[in-house]
This record gives sequence, C-alpha cells and structure tokens, in this order.
Amino acid sequence: MNSSLKPTRGQFIVGGLAASAAVKFASINVIAAPTKTLVVGLNVPQTGPYSDQGADQLRAYRMAILEINAKGGVMGMQIEESVGDDQTKAPVAVENARRMIERDGAVMITGGSSTGTAVAVSGLCQEKKTIFMATLTHGDETTDANCHYHTFRRYNNAHMSAQAMARTMLSKYGTGKWFYITADYNWGHSNFDNITAVVEAKGAKTVANVLTPLTTTDFSSALSQAQAAKPDVLCIIQFGKDMVACVNQAASFGLTKSAKILVPLSDEYMAKGVGDNFDNVVTTAPFYWKYHAGKYPEAKRFVDDFTAKYGVPPSNGAECAYTNMYQWKAGLERSGSLDPAAFIAKMEGYHFTATKGPEYWRTWDHQGINTVLVLEGVPAAERENAFAYAKVLEVHDGESVAITQATTKCKIENS
Amino acid sequence: MPGQLLDGFIRGLVYVAIALGLTIVFGMLRLVNFAHGAFYAIGAYVGLIVAERYGLAAALLAAPLAVALFAVVFDRVLLRFFYERDGTAQILVTFGVAIVVEESLRLIFGGTTRSFPVPDALSGSLNLGFTQYPTYRLCFAAGIVVIVLLVWLFIERTNYGLIVRAGIRDRTMVQLLGGNVQLASTIVFALGAGVAGLVGAAASPIYSVDPSTGFSFLVPAFVVVVIGGLGSFWGAVLGGLLVGELQSLTTLILPAASDVVIYVAMALVLLVRPSGLLGESEVIRG
Repeated sequence: MNSSLKPTRGQFIVGGLAASAAVKFASINVIAAPTKTLVVGLNVPQTGPYSDQGADQLRAYRMAILEINAKGGVMGMQIEESVGDDQTKAPVAVENARRMIERDGAVMITGGSSTGTAVAVSGLCQEKKTIFMATLTHGDETTDANCHYHTFRRYNNAHMSAQAMARTMLSKYGTGKWFYITADYNWGHSNFDNITAVVEAKGAKTVANVLTPLTTTDFSSALSQAQAAKPDVLCIIQFGKDMVACVNQAASFGLTKSAKILVPLSDEYMAKGVGDNFDNVVTTAPFYWKYHAGKYPEAKRFVDDFTAKYGVPPSNGAECAYTNMYQWKAGLERSGSLDPAAFIAKMEGYHFTATKGPEYWRTWDHQGINTVLVLEGVPAAERENAFAYAKVLEVHDGESVAITQATTKCKIENS
Repeated sequence: MPGQLLDGFIRGLVYVAIALGLTIVFGMLRLVNFAHGAFYAIGAYVGLIVAERYGLAAALLAAPLAVALFAVVFDRVLLRFFYERDGTAQILVTFGVAIVVEESLRLIFGGTTRSFPVPDALSGSLNLGFTQYPTYRLCFAAGIVVIVLLVWLFIERTNYGLIVRAGIRDRTMVQLLGGNVQLASTIVFALGAGVAGLVGAAASPIYSVDPSTGFSFLVPAFVVVVIGGLGSFWGAVLGGLLVGELQSLTTLILPAASDVVIYVAMALVLLVRPSGLLGESEVIRG
C-alpha cells in the first residue's frame, strides 16, 4: 500500500487522464442568460460513429442562426445556442436535453443522430413541454409508435424510403430473386417489411434474410451465403459505417457486379466511404445538394452559401437542420408567442416551400411530408467532388409513400 | 457449409493476430492492455495514408514500424510506471490512452469510414471448388499464418525469446542472472503492437477503417485470450479460430446470435476451465 499523501507520478498521470476524460464526457457550453435572447439546444453527435453527420448538422444550424440573428432574430430576440454531444447514445442525449432545458432555459431542442436518441429526447421534451425539432432520425417510431405532441420530424422515414425504392425497382427486378442482409433492430425490420410488401406482391422471390447485429464489422458469412444464392438483387439494409463495410465487402465477393445492390438510405459521408463501390448502387435520400440546387433557387442559395462558408456541400442531414431552424422561427412568428401550444397549432397542417418544393407538416403525426429521391450511385472516379455521389432515378411524392392514418400506430397527445 | 467453415477460419485468423499481442504482453508484463485495439487503428490509418501514395506493399512495411515506435514511446513515457501497480490502474491508463487515440484519429481524419481498394492483382475472387472466395482475403489469411509462425519462432527459438519466457516465470531471477528483462519487455510490447498495426493495415481493404475500429476488434480479442488462457500463445491461436468458426456458423443458423455466441462460449469455458483452454491453472510469479 502506498500510504504517502503525496501523489506518485503514476497517480498524477491517472488523475490527469481522468480529468481530461471528465472534460470529454461532459463538455458544457455555459450560457449566461441575458434578456432578449432565445436559447435553442443543439443536441448532435460530436464523437462516436455519426460525428461527421453531427458536425455537418452543427454547421447548418450555426449558419441559420447567424443569418437569422443578422436579420433581427426571432420576434426581436437573438438566438443563442446551447450545444451538447449526444455521442449517439440515448441516455447522453436525454441528459444533454435536460440540461439545456432546465439550466440553460432552452425553448426548443433540435438535432439527432439516430432514432434511438430521437425517441428518448422526444419523450423528455413531451414531459417538459418543450418543442423538439427532430433532424436526423429515419426510423418510423419517431412519428409513428412513439410520436409526441411536442415533436416534429421533417426527415423522410424508413417507410417512405423503402416504399419509394421498392417501387422504382419493380419495373426491372420485380420478378427476380431478392437476398436481404438486414440490421437486426427496429429500423432494419421496418425497412425489410416495407420493401418485401411492395416487391413480393409483384412476384419477387425473397431468397433469404440474414439478420446481422448492429456494428458488425465482418459481413463475410452473410455475403458467402448471398454469393451461393446468386440473387438478382442484394438488399443491404444497413446504415452508417455498417453499410459502408457491407457494400465494400460485397464488392470483394464480386456481388456488386453480379447483383443489383440496394441500400435504403444514404448520405454524403456514407457515399464517400463506399467510394468506387457505390457505382450502380440504388438508394434514397430526402435531399441531394446537386439535384435540388439545380432545381430550386432557395436550395441553390443554401448550397452555395454553405459550400462557400465551409468548403464542402451540405449533407442531407445538414439541409434538414437548416430548414428545421427556419421552420421553428417561422412557426413562432406565426403564433406570435413562446407558448408551445400556440406554436404547434400554427405548425400542424402548415404548407410551405423551402429547399425542396411544396411540402407540409402533417397534423395527426407531425411527420413532414416531402419528396423522396431514389438515387443511383456513381463511382468516385466520375464525381466532380467526393460528395457528388449519385444521379436521380426517380422522385416520389411524399404523400404517396408515407404511412397512412389507417395504418399508423401514432396516438398523439392533446397537449 | 464448407464456405462458411473457410469464412470462419479466416475470421478467426484475424482474431488470432490481434489476440497474440495481447496475450504475449500479458504473459510477459502481467499487463492488461486496453490500448491494444488502438494499435490496430493506428496501423490501419498509417496504412491508409501510405497506401494511397505508395501502394499496399509500402503500407504493410510502414504501418508495423510506425505502430511499434508508438508503442515504445507509450511504454517508456507512460506505461512503465504502471508495471507494478494493480490491474485497475493499468486498465484505467490503457483505456484512457485508447480513448485519446480514438478521438485524436477522429480529429485528424474525421469520423467517415474509409478504405483503400485492393490492388488489381489481388482483386476478384478465386474458385476453390466448393466456393468462390475473394483473392485478397485468402492472401491475407496466408500472411497471418506466416506472421503467427514467425512470432512463435521468435519466442521459442531466439535468445530474446528465452529471456521473455524466463521473464514470465521469474522476472527477478532473470535480472539477477544478468538478463535485460526491461529491454526484452519493451521488445515484446513493440512486437505485439507491430503485429496489431500490420494486421490493421492489411485488413483495412476488407473491413474499412474508422476511428472506433480499434475497440470493435479489441473486445473479441479479449474474449479470445480469455478462452485460450491468459498469456498462452497457442491458447490465443486455438481461441481465435474457435471464436471465428463459432461466429461464422452461428450466422448460418441464427444470425442474430452471432455476437452473443462468443460470450456464451467464454462463460462456458470459464465455468469448466477457469484458466482457459490452454492456460496454466496456477500462475507462478517471482
């Protein structure tokens, strides 16, 4: 036993590391609360697997806040940010949101990196009667089984993506053999159910569905099985780095050449990771900077300003973050008060045009109804920059692919 | 089925290569090194950068050297103060370093998953009669077999290996007899790290790389070491192949359980043979 009170060098180093770890896990932006400001909580992953997506959302939020503040703020009040790193972990995301609301006085929480964090934060915001503008969450639950009165989600959900992608694929692969490698959690199952519901009805044969645990690094056993089955379509229902690993490994098994590869959802950072192997891969996205900037003036202004400011074009999560901030501002101004109930009344059923053409907020589940793009990947060698990852195959109207009121599990509260 | 067995074998070899460094470092230094996964990750990133400019061969040379150098600095500057401390302090300090390395990689390279393409000569797949298997994976597996044999020869057949093995038995006695245990320890540490770095670089065309790569291999590697027996060389080999096959075959039968199965195996081994399959029942310490 070391009975001396004077720390040894070793103890000192451990202490230092522990202290720096404490700083890492609890980075806090202390905000004084001056009058005439509105605090918004930006709850995004800054570390962990989705840190790139989180960083890009943060860029977009800050760009929107700077623009809004420069033009006089919201109802005369300047926006201030309270930032938290949710680490893509639900308990951390909830703790951040609680701190933002209770200590910093945040009147709105926004951000997200996964449906797990979104559902958790949504529950807290309902309890705290605070607006939650969910950004990067694709699972159905956020506006379906776990919908809440105070939560709005504009991003496409799994149901919309799967329906859109399956419909685009029908004409060519509707009667072929389909093989699925599916991430074993709600999001994966929901995608699988939706895709098979569309394509099996038209005669597509489901050869197998191999479920893989989240954060699988080696997909070779599933891919060996896929190779033996000789499918026409290989549907890789994986997200983030799992998707990147699985598509790259599928390429080494020769599957990207022998089968059509489908991936339900991509973004700029995932497509960059897949690189050349993204050639011919079919996927969906709610927004694609290259397509929308060429079609809508407001999208062009956003993409140009964002690219000029940060040196890279915005990912689809960044676009959603930017629009969410403006939608919140516009909703507050329409209601003319900070009362969440008044804000929600002015949001429900509201039609608007931002970066994507006409869209609206649905009243009964607070899902944003807007278009779904079905994209086909281009190889890295043919891209003008690493983020110019696809060409548009088809654009689906949001209403036509969304969950309907007859099938929803959403029972939204009255207050 | 034969395809799955081959797949499990190759997956197992990766675990063997990473677990090897863990187990010899534990055997020699009685040190539980949670930063071992970070060695893999650093190797992968060094490999990525070098491969993009100078090709795969240069990457396979640069990665183990860079990681071994990092390990030596890590050992001399920080770790040696913890050799005699209890396991908790060692776990805290190595775990801390692993986190610092992961977030530093994220800061420098971003969180995006990256990979570099397999060289043309090794791309495509070979028809093995019972299955088609990617050529690069087969070469990778052969390479690991060679590395495992070389490490074994080093430990069993060289004078340094003798000091290492003697040091495991009785560190003080070896020092009294004039053996430089300190130097041998550092060499063993660098060797284990270098192998992890080399595997990191060689594996990145297969698995892709992101800053958290290290942790995703560290945990199965620990399971492998525990199953095989802490500090046992052939235990790590046996454990690695066992875990690889178990995972691969479970994917065929009950894919969702392929992660859990290795922990079940570990629990069973610990119940039946608490010191692991090839571990010594009582550790002799000086």
